[in-house]
Amino acid sequence: MSRQRLERYLPVILILLAVIGFVLHRTGLLLPVEGLLIRVTVPVQEGASRVVAQFQQLRQTIRDLRDLRQRNEALEAENARLLLENIRLKEVETEASLCGDLLNFAQTRPSFDLQGAHVVGRVIGRDPSNLQRYITLDVGREAGIARNMPVVTGRGLVGRIIEVGDHWSRVLLITDVSSTVNALTQSTRASGLVQGQADGSLVMRNIPQGDTVSVGDTVFTSGLGGNFPRQILIGQITEVRRNDYELYQSATIWPTVDFDRLEMVLIVTDFQPIENQ
Amino acid sequence: MSLYLVVPLLGIVALIQTTLMPHLAVRGVFPDLPVLMVVSWSLLRGSGEGVVWGFIAGVAVDLFSAAPFGAATLGLIAVGFGWGVGKAAAFRAHLALPLLATFLATVLYDLIFLLVVQVAGGAVVWLDSLFRTILPSAVLNALLTPPVLIGMRWLHLRLSHEEMEW
Repeated sequence: MSRQRLERYLPVILILLAVIGFVLHRTGLLLPVEGLLIRVTVPVQEGASRVVAQFQQLRQTIRDLRDLRQRNEALEAENARLLLENIRLKEVETEASLCGDLLNFAQTRPSFDLQGAHVVGRVIGRDPSNLQRYITLDVGREAGIARNMPVVTGRGLVGRIIEVGDHWSRVLLITDVSSTVNALTQSTRASGLVQGQADGSLVMRNIPQGDTVSVGDTVFTSGLGGNFPRQILIGQITEVRRNDYELYQSATIWPTVDFDRLEMVLIVTDFQPIENQ
Repeated sequence: MSLYLVVPLLGIVALIQTTLMPHLAVRGVFPDLPVLMVVSWSLLRGSGEGVVWGFIAGVAVDLFSAAPFGAATLGLIAVGFGWGVGKAAAFRAHLALPLLATFLATVLYDLIFLLVVQVAGGAVVWLDSLFRTILPSAVLNALLTPPVLIGMRWLHLRLSHEEMEW
């Protein structure tokens, strides 16, 4: 084929190749090749991520010196600790009054869910697109990671594992538009679905009109649906939208996890999601 | 420019996109370096090379992405081809044209990306994504066009005598 003819047909050839790649990916035939390529690229990604992290650390140090960030951070950490402690105590109080059973209370303490088997994963990459919200972790099948395992940090729910390789895994963040989490509010036990928005924020939908929802209330996973353990913190309500002509009300949620600064996460490995059973 | 150089170059760009760029987010969106580079190269070298750059950059991005394979590739091929048709003549006509070109390229790329995600059965919120993510990201990319274009122009001038080899 002459060079001119090749140039003329090149866009069509490349589009066809992309479509073939798409079809092979959908049918799963591309998985071995993808697995091999990801296996090669993950260490590179990990290295690059480490360099970026070190660079960021350096930048952070300079910034720290400039505005006494250390002191501010210590106060913020204390504030966060007290806030979490406060939330935990409130939760304990609610649980106690709801159940009145100490044994059951001990079993359902939120901290106990996370003290079981877990794996610490380091975030080594994020989705290259602005339109999707995933992170890549440096742990995979060899560390006992499986699909649908919940991923958390000390501050709350991060997401769930959707793809696993031998030494890597991908996490669908709860801020992605395709993510849905069954949740309830702490004080009034109003239930609803927490969904990710296009801009990375969170909205709790399908809250029955009769339920009381107020700004400042904290939102936890409800455990309904069996995809996430119950009582994992998701965030705090910042706005409530209620229209009399609608069946449900909705609320905007400020996530307690800072998704832009995720570095280390915990994967809860002793929880069996319904889809895995 | 030899493919032996283009492939590692765009591979590194995809790597930077997945590791460094998310840390440079402004109001929730971060720059899309592969789009910026493919647009700049197409404007400078025409659709013949633009489409090859789009394909290679797209495959590299798809490898790092959880999106269905082909979402980025198809978007970047379209950008590389479409934006190379006008080539340098249109680009030199007005200073604002490269910025506008990048703005429109980002919108087109993101829409094709979302379309492929939807075809593959993924959840897509079209209007929300358009107003909350695609348009802000297009504005950010447009603002970053001058420095990227300067870099690509330098590369273009250094390789001006060369044609792409494949």
